[in-house]
Amino acid sequence: MEIADDLKEIDEKLVNKLHQIAKDRVEYWDIRVGVNHGTNLDFTDQKSKEISSYEITECGIRTFINGGWGFYVLKDINRESIKEGFQKAIKLANLSESLNKNKFKIIERDPLIQNFKIVSKQNLEDIDIEEKIDLVIQHEKTASKYSSKIKNTHTLYLDGHAQGIFINSFNSNIFQDLSFLRLFSLAYAQENGILQRAINSVAGIGGYEITETKKAKSLSSKTAKEAVDLLKANSPIGGKFTIIMDPKLTGTFIHEAFGHACEADHVLNKESILEGRIGEKIAIDEVNIIDNPTMNQSKKFNLPYELFGCYFVDDEGIPSQKTVIVERGILKNYLHSLETSSRMGEIPNGHGRASSCSSRPQVRMGFTYLEPKDWNLEEMIEEVKNGILCEDFQYGYTDPTTGNFQFKCKLSYQIENGKKTQLMRDVALSGMTLEILNKITAIGDQNTYNYSDGSCVKGGQSIRVCDGGPYIRIENITVGGLN
Amino acid sequence: MDNPDIFALAKFGLNLTNEENSNVKCAEIFFGQNKYINIEIEENSLKNSEIGEDNGVAIRVINDKGSLGFAFTNKLEKKSIDYIATIAIKMMNVGTPNPDFKNLPFSYKNYPDVKDLFDKDLKNLQLEDSLKFVKDLVKICEEDEIAISQSANFISNYSKTYIFNSNGLEISGKETSCSLSSYIIVKDKVSKETSFGSEWQTERMLKNLDAERIAKDALIDAKKNVNRKKIKNMKVPIILSPKGTINLILKPIASAVDGETFQHKRSFLVDKRGEIIGSEYLNIEDNGLMAGVAGSSIFDGEGVPCTNKKIFEKGKFLKSGLLHNSYTAGKEGIESTGNASRSSYSSIPSVGITNFIMKAGDFSLEEIIKSIKEGIILDYTGDSPNISTGDFSGLILHGNLIKNGEIKEPLNETMVGINLLDLFLKIDAVSKESKVYGVYQAPYVRIKSVNIIGGAN
Repeated sequence: MEIADDLKEIDEKLVNKLHQIAKDRVEYWDIRVGVNHGTNLDFTDQKSKEISSYEITECGIRTFINGGWGFYVLKDINRESIKEGFQKAIKLANLSESLNKNKFKIIERDPLIQNFKIVSKQNLEDIDIEEKIDLVIQHEKTASKYSSKIKNTHTLYLDGHAQGIFINSFNSNIFQDLSFLRLFSLAYAQENGILQRAINSVAGIGGYEITETKKAKSLSSKTAKEAVDLLKANSPIGGKFTIIMDPKLTGTFIHEAFGHACEADHVLNKESILEGRIGEKIAIDEVNIIDNPTMNQSKKFNLPYELFGCYFVDDEGIPSQKTVIVERGILKNYLHSLETSSRMGEIPNGHGRASSCSSRPQVRMGFTYLEPKDWNLEEMIEEVKNGILCEDFQYGYTDPTTGNFQFKCKLSYQIENGKKTQLMRDVALSGMTLEILNKITAIGDQNTYNYSDGSCVKGGQSIRVCDGGPYIRIENITVGGLN
Repeated sequence: MDNPDIFALAKFGLNLTNEENSNVKCAEIFFGQNKYINIEIEENSLKNSEIGEDNGVAIRVINDKGSLGFAFTNKLEKKSIDYIATIAIKMMNVGTPNPDFKNLPFSYKNYPDVKDLFDKDLKNLQLEDSLKFVKDLVKICEEDEIAISQSANFISNYSKTYIFNSNGLEISGKETSCSLSSYIIVKDKVSKETSFGSEWQTERMLKNLDAERIAKDALIDAKKNVNRKKIKNMKVPIILSPKGTINLILKPIASAVDGETFQHKRSFLVDKRGEIIGSEYLNIEDNGLMAGVAGSSIFDGEGVPCTNKKIFEKGKFLKSGLLHNSYTAGKEGIESTGNASRSSYSSIPSVGITNFIMKAGDFSLEEIIKSIKEGIILDYTGDSPNISTGDFSGLILHGNLIKNGEIKEPLNETMVGINLLDLFLKIDAVSKESKVYGVYQAPYVRIKSVNIIGGAN
């Protein structure tokens, strides 16, 4: 494996020197260095708006003294700049420590010395730019040809190759070589003065093979169909309804409304509805919630690449692992970083993640999902007199202090007397997270289970995540509407 | 960060794009240099002190057919510039023709004199000197009886920008900015109910930052929202607070008048130019020339002078009320409005606002509240309207009932739905009081009657 020149600067001699500088001055430190290359293609109506390529190097040095952190970011990477940055980072930790009131220690963990590499079937570097452009144009054409009602198409292709080194004061030394690819399709349909848009994406860790699955190939036709279908959709009438969520929406609910409350930094900052509730029953017996960002899960979904939200090791050198958050309705674990696990007397479970070497790790989710049970979708619908089947989401958010959430669904179908009927758009669901977990009346079986991928933003940092679950049915949810 | 000779590097880069067989019609080289301090408070205690830098260079080239190539790196050295010039030209050569791409801007003789964009106190600021803001923020939260936690941060920024293009444009400038934000959590002693409140401020000059005010306002915001109540469905007048006005009026209009969104007909304001579509109280401008304000600049992301333009006047969406960069302006055959937006060297210019302002009115806030027998004040929703249709339906995350002219209980699980075109016509009062949040300035706005969906049905 060929290692980027800038990373070769981080040799044994430099690492020994850093250990020496830090000795007796800081309690913990880590350093992350990354070299990133990539391509961005942005097409609108089959014309290129952006065709770009980049090369970015960056380094983040983190230091810790008795509750206070220092973080120094530099872009010009060489032995001297790193040594100098390291001294500055120590000074910053001292400043933080001087005003910090929450004193604590970082508990030492076993060192990890390992190289990780994603073996892609088709290396991104081996694919000509012309081929990538052709792929984007084909998607643009497919979307615009779908119907004369499609007035506008937009396709975005992003790929990247990242090499990184992680070193910390526990003597960990990790090298990673990853590549990823993301493809977005947007379509705007118009008829009789009504304009509707749809957006879909596929993403994965791996190479160009990510673009060749059935899911990726049908991306733009699916998007165009949704935009055209939405033209005929009705606006919802507000009120209380029985709701069936599809796997994408279930996943979003589990991630957005529930998962963030399990992040131990939120718990410590008193921003979580789950503070002090480990061991308590918070949901009905049938609810099991997991976060499992380990690699090698893609076979379950028949995909030839790693899932977008997965990783070998987090950005604090802790291997990814399966964490049971809720078991039979009982809250079992929070998600932890080195800091939160040290403070709460837990074992770190690999959720200290950062968007890049220039950002400091926070507690973040990986692949969060609700485990399937035993209902099939037909049975779930049959019992509903007046309800809504909600598919996919546009966006969602939650008030962390109360658990009051809101999700805007993408496609929603009215359910009348056990039958799925007309399509509705912009259905907005609202409720209180913990009430919902106790109002679930049906959880779908393995056949209804699926996952989706995307980005999650917290504290200005965007990271890759997955979430999922089966179809679920919930009683008595507030739906907002214009009418 | 002053070390490399930017002018020599720029000349070197532009020359590379100008070689005979390169097919380049016009080229641009953009340098961005940036230094920042970021101090984070968590659990109402200083948690993290951070210093960083981000310097980079981007080359944009366009050929006769309008195909664009772009490449960037954060290495400011000849070897890297040579590399990105080659890549950018390669990207341009494989791109698709786009006859709408007319040209890059030409050089300008005059640039506006925009005051107070640079503060040498901020440029020279040491992290140690910023700790007084931390102490002020922490103190307000600590001394309050029901405040239980605070997350907050202080950020300062010093940036230099250099833009050169093959049409002779050559401009550089330096700017500073600083910001404070506070997010406070309170817990009612009796009901044990918790709530959050937030406030933030962005300034060009350090002396204008007021940490005490920010933490106090976040605290007031949090306290207003404890012991929430579910209400029944109703159709009543609502008052938008400045944050609500930004959410429901300024941000959607800013997106809808973006030249690019508009040209693609993705905006609910398409076909409405020159028409009166709002009440006389709807007056909006995009003003990049105000002294010392976050969104002001001498030149935009392509080196075009910033301007002040009216978007809405007495409810009329002006024909000239669109924002353009050189590409979207070229497509219409007009001059750029100086709204090319570039968040860093790593992005190609899009269209963005400078300072987006809704004009204050004649009513006092007190008068407006007193005028309402039964209604709602909406402070904050996490939702945003659909820009294509103007439809909005969202959850009121922060809002209170108004009864007999007084602000009462906060709302729980309450949703609101309206189309923006309907909302614009229903504006029937605007306050004298106005608040600045970064690039937005907004008053309190009263809307005649709106559907509210309560959680108590």
